[in-house]
Amino acid sequence: MPSDENAPVKLSLPLEFQQDIFKELREEDELVLIARGLGLLRIVTNLLHSYDAAGNNLILLIGADDRENVWIGEALAEHAAVSQAPKARGLSLVNTDLMSVGTREKLYAQGGLFSITSRILIVDFLSGLMNPETVAGVVVLHAERVVATSLEAFILRIYRQKNKAGFLKAFSDAPEPFTMGYSPLSNMMKNLFLQKPSLYPRFHVSVAKSLEGRKKAEVIELEIPMTEPMRDIQNAVLECVEVSISELRKSNAGIEMEDWTVDSALHKNFDTMIRRQLDPVWHRTSFKTRQVVRDLTLLRTILHALLTYDAVDFNKYLDTVLAASQPPPGSTKQNQSPWLFLDAADTIFTTAKRRVYTGKLANADIQNNPKAVPDSLEPVLEEFPKWTQLAEILEEIEQDAYLNPILQDSSNGSILIMCGDQGTCRQLREFLQTMYVRPEGADEEDDDEKGPSAKFMMRRKLRNYLFWKRDFSKVSAGLFSENEKAINGSTEQRVQSGKSNRAPPNKRRRVRGGGAAGSGPPRSETGAIRTAGDRDAHIASLMRELQPTETEAMQKTEIGYDPLDNMEDYYELFDMNELIIIHPYEGDMDEHVLEETKPRYVIMYEPDAAFIRRIEVYRSSHTDRTVKVFFMYYGGSVEEQRYLSAVRREKDAFTRLIRERGNMAITLTSAALDPQESFLRTINTRIAGGGRLAATAQPPRVVVDVREFRSSLPSLLHGRSIVVVPCMLTVGDYVLTPQICIERKSVRDLIGSFANGRLFNQAEAMLEHYKYPMLLIEFDQNKSFTLEPFSDLYGPQTTAGLAAAPDLQAKIVMLTLAFPRLKIIWSSSPYQTAEIFEELKKQQEEPDPLKAVQIGLDPSMMGDEMRTFNQVSQDMLRAIPGMNEKAVVTLTLEVENIIELANMEEHELRTLVGTEVGRSIYRFFNRSVYEDVSLPTL
Amino acid sequence: QALPSRSGPSSILVSPRQKGNPILNGVRAVAWEYSDIPADYVLGATTCALFLSLKYHRLHPEYIYNRIRDLKGQYGLRILLTMVDIENHEAALRELSKTSLINNVTIMLCWSAQEAGRYLELFKTFEHAAPTSIRAQQSSSYSDKLVEFITVPRSINKTDALGLVSNFGSIRTAVNAGPEEVGLIAGWGEKKVQRWCSSARDPFRIKK
Repeated sequence: MPSDENAPVKLSLPLEFQQDIFKELREEDELVLIARGLGLLRIVTNLLHSYDAAGNNLILLIGADDRENVWIGEALAEHAAVSQAPKARGLSLVNTDLMSVGTREKLYAQGGLFSITSRILIVDFLSGLMNPETVAGVVVLHAERVVATSLEAFILRIYRQKNKAGFLKAFSDAPEPFTMGYSPLSNMMKNLFLQKPSLYPRFHVSVAKSLEGRKKAEVIELEIPMTEPMRDIQNAVLECVEVSISELRKSNAGIEMEDWTVDSALHKNFDTMIRRQLDPVWHRTSFKTRQVVRDLTLLRTILHALLTYDAVDFNKYLDTVLAASQPPPGSTKQNQSPWLFLDAADTIFTTAKRRVYTGKLANADIQNNPKAVPDSLEPVLEEFPKWTQLAEILEEIEQDAYLNPILQDSSNGSILIMCGDQGTCRQLREFLQTMYVRPEGADEEDDDEKGPSAKFMMRRKLRNYLFWKRDFSKVSAGLFSENEKAINGSTEQRVQSGKSNRAPPNKRRRVRGGGAAGSGPPRSETGAIRTAGDRDAHIASLMRELQPTETEAMQKTEIGYDPLDNMEDYYELFDMNELIIIHPYEGDMDEHVLEETKPRYVIMYEPDAAFIRRIEVYRSSHTDRTVKVFFMYYGGSVEEQRYLSAVRREKDAFTRLIRERGNMAITLTSAALDPQESFLRTINTRIAGGGRLAATAQPPRVVVDVREFRSSLPSLLHGRSIVVVPCMLTVGDYVLTPQICIERKSVRDLIGSFANGRLFNQAEAMLEHYKYPMLLIEFDQNKSFTLEPFSDLYGPQTTAGLAAAPDLQAKIVMLTLAFPRLKIIWSSSPYQTAEIFEELKKQQEEPDPLKAVQIGLDPSMMGDEMRTFNQVSQDMLRAIPGMNEKAVVTLTLEVENIIELANMEEHELRTLVGTEVGRSIYRFFNRSVYEDVSLPTL
Repeated sequence: QALPSRSGPSSILVSPRQKGNPILNGVRAVAWEYSDIPADYVLGATTCALFLSLKYHRLHPEYIYNRIRDLKGQYGLRILLTMVDIENHEAALRELSKTSLINNVTIMLCWSAQEAGRYLELFKTFEHAAPTSIRAQQSSSYSDKLVEFITVPRSINKTDALGLVSNFGSIRTAVNAGPEEVGLIAGWGEKKVQRWCSSARDPFRIKK
């Protein structure tokens, strides 16, 4: 290590365990697994700084996300200033969008600290832009993501292969992935080329001592009961979840499903877990099963929304959910989500609505005098109990601050409110701003309480909601009417289901299940619940009721969201002592928030285990500051359970890891020598075996398109001792020999690129330039190896039907018929693909990268080899109706971005891409969805 | 029905070798008849197919090479319709991939007799069809297109798409909307908002 031990380095690690970790890391390479909230980034920055201060090092930081880069960059600059290290250069960021190859090369030569996107780093390693031997050390963040097939593992392999001396430190604050079946600790250690894991759970002795030894933070826990309707909805959703799960169990016998319980269904990754279990048999699962799996995700979102969105927004969200889960055209009743048929689903929708307004429409009234507006509708506008609680706490704090006005410490008098996300932040901000505003008309009955209330805000929200609803019924009727029509076979029905939630009396007999129609929940012809719209009359009456009163009109109509981007500029104007700051949880960023605001009071609006630890760390780091913490949660709610189980799972994970580490010691000593050796072994056997010597003396080589480095195949090819040459290819993804060119498609890509015609063009180009063009259809490692689920074996069997709506198989057939020379490789996994490639390359010449790059390049674009397009916006362009490949190219070259395109006038577009295409693009962007659907379809 | 002509182009020709093959039960939409041909199936003027079950291939690996040889380089498109009916298919498929390159056959995999039969039907059906539906963008309804357009950035789903347009009225306004406005829509979390806004603003070309 070329670091200068005498360099003056000032650390900012106040706690003992942090110093311990730092010392350990300076001495040896290891994986540090630390509990969330214990200041992982702080340790990382201190470590980086100690190397940075020594100067003349090329140090790489991989796996960091954008926010962490900013954090680390700032912290390093700060450190450099504090310890006045002349050699420290801070962090340089490398992500393609900004830097060309030349600039990168220059930067690397200068040395310093780099945070590089994995995809760029691997390309630079392979293309020789950066020599791994010159790297002094690598620091890996988010080590839990370094699985065998990941790019990070690939990078580390190359690094370790060429460079045995440099240091390598890995960090993670998520212990759970290390305990899951697919990646137990020892495997991960192998991927990381590390031998020693160092575990720091919250219950670690030195952690506990550091945090509990000194004054503890004062925490007041507040359990708040949910309102009756909230509990009803939660129970109903849970019932739906339960039914969905039992549906899954029923139809998927023979699968391990001990974990399929409502309890575990609340976890964040329950649906991914189910997906993972079902993936190997995904082709055998029925349509229904797949739908239920999707529903579970949706139901969990609803549960979350129940606790975070206010009553009006929640109802609005449910409206959207309902409209979007209308069946696709051509489907039958069976295709609707099963949970929508449950009584519980009805409870969800009606209760959600009842939280916003009540009132029933007597059919007779409407029948008799349709002009009269029933004034039985009344806004209810339930408020969150947490709001009242929050207001009370603030009041208490105010009194407290009044009674003890002198601050004996260095913290500010400010109040920090932490909540789950930006949305909740906005909600709370609006609530706090308006809670003392009274709508005049409304306070006759609540004279008794002059306390804060959200009435004003809720009324405003309801007004907006009703406006929105009017448009929304039109939109959903407009956009999905075709589907409706297809299902119900009658236009009439469509109009009704769009506009009313109950069929008028004269149509009542048409409702399924005759007798129950009057009393049962409103159901549409298909039997699923539908509450898409209200009678316009209802809305009108509600609107009148809600007419802004004078006070309301005096308030500004819309409270602007104030972007947090320039929070610092914004807030330095205020006196920090009287500030209320509302902030969402943002992982490690919260530490900054605490440090910057130095709050005396913290209100945790939602529970978050990591943040509690952050407060502990903050509290123990600054002995001179007192923090009073209020901690709120809904008793008996999903929120509470989720919090408790998150804490429990982290603890379990650490316990298991500690046990595994104990057992691992023996295996590791052999594995410790191993990773290099076993790697070399694969190289040798392969080359020696083939008849390669006769063909060529060069090592086998594959030219790979740089965009392909998102997939794991290049890494696996490299693992099989094939030299991977990254290039910017215009034609094909992989060039194996001068004649063989391969376009790789995962099944998902395949469907997509059939749909937008790209594959056809790609095949055309490959055919033009290569003797053996091949299409590689690659399935996922853990997914079923079959195309059957994508076919429609019972679908339209007539020629006309097939030609109109061909399924995936039909499209593949068309492709082979159109290009008889195109061969297809079917591969069940990337591993299998790597083997196939090796087989195909046997006794063939090696490809010439230069030639491969030039093939297919537009002569006019020659020399412009770094021509890269943004994939997402390209795909969006292709999704626009009327778009063709030529227009896509023209637009990417002539127009800056999607916004500019959307704002172009029709005549501009016409001159660019021609009358026909121009018009359809213009119409696509400018058509209003509020208007009636009678517009001619594009 | 009209009289079926003996070797008419409208039916699939089947070699008598294939008698009793269950995949013939799957061929229902297109007529087929036995005929003396070197291939197993003739699916068009220049298209033929050989059928191979991997189970059989494992026992008689030389069989398929003999059959390919018997074709003597005829037919422009030679399909090797391979039924994957064993668990450990990797080695066999690797070998066949290589074969397909050397012997100029195109491998189609199927997983059931029914699917195999359908492939035969499809090849026959599309014999003269123009590949329009894979060539360019499918024309579909405005709402589908709209949803498709909005859901291109990752993690944005149909519900979100609907919420977006219903709030902004048209795609143009939705594209122009700033992150703070989009964030107000129910269901749009920070990640989605950020993805949507940056995909609208990111330049098409990545600058050097």
